[in-house]
Amino acid sequence: MRFLYLVLASLTIGTLVGHFLSPDFGNAYELMLYVLIFLIGADLGLNFNAEELRKVGRNALVLPFLTLAGSLLGGLLAALALGIEPRWGLAIGAGCGWYSLTGPLIAQYSTVYGAVGFLGNLMREILTILLYPIAIGRIDPEKAVVMGGATTMDTTLPIITKFGGREVALTAFVHGFVLTALVPFVLPLILTL
Amino acid sequence: MNVFIPLILGLLLGYLGKRAGKRPNLETPTSIALLAMIFFLGVRTGEVHVNGLWLLGVSAIFAILTIAGSLLLAEVVR
Repeated sequence: MRFLYLVLASLTIGTLVGHFLSPDFGNAYELMLYVLIFLIGADLGLNFNAEELRKVGRNALVLPFLTLAGSLLGGLLAALALGIEPRWGLAIGAGCGWYSLTGPLIAQYSTVYGAVGFLGNLMREILTILLYPIAIGRIDPEKAVVMGGATTMDTTLPIITKFGGREVALTAFVHGFVLTALVPFVLPLILTL
Repeated sequence: MNVFIPLILGLLLGYLGKRAGKRPNLETPTSIALLAMIFFLGVRTGEVHVNGLWLLGVSAIFAILTIAGSLLLAEVVR
């Protein structure tokens, strides 16, 4: 739990720094991400177990489709509740947390919903970082991976690994990988509806 | 850069380390790198200039409902 407070503090301080100072850190975010991915890879390699991998494969292939379907459902419900045209809701939901793709793609059709697509999916990533450690207290850590959507193969993978454990890290990576392959096809398809 | 490059590199080095009988403690460097990454994510978020509370509220509703929808299906179907 102490680490979660450190996560919250990092995010809050970072947001305040970004908002008030707008410093130019260059590619520091990407650099840290790659360092983390490397460390996670090294940890997986050090603890590689073929039997574990076989078991994970079956489960991890079902989860992404449930994530996508649930995300579309959530997006549709949000659109209906807010009185927004359903296709925007479906498109925002289809982003599955991939804000850097969702925002620009939707913005080709609507600037306002492009901004909502960007921010909504960015919030999904942030909420996953903040809530995954809490959610696994009530939900199976493997199932809770769906919260992160496509981000579970990169940005939210460290937090999932840290709190969910090494065995969940494999599921999370495959989950994110499958969604990363699906989203660039599903999202433009919805936008053409 | 593709995330696969550092991942595969890490996997290979880790696996080679395992075969060589080495067990380095990766917990501390991973925690430090994670906190640094979250800080930089926060900086990026803070730099996004939101046009009004509507955008923020609507985005939050989408974020919450898409997460809830995914969790619901994962819980019900599996």
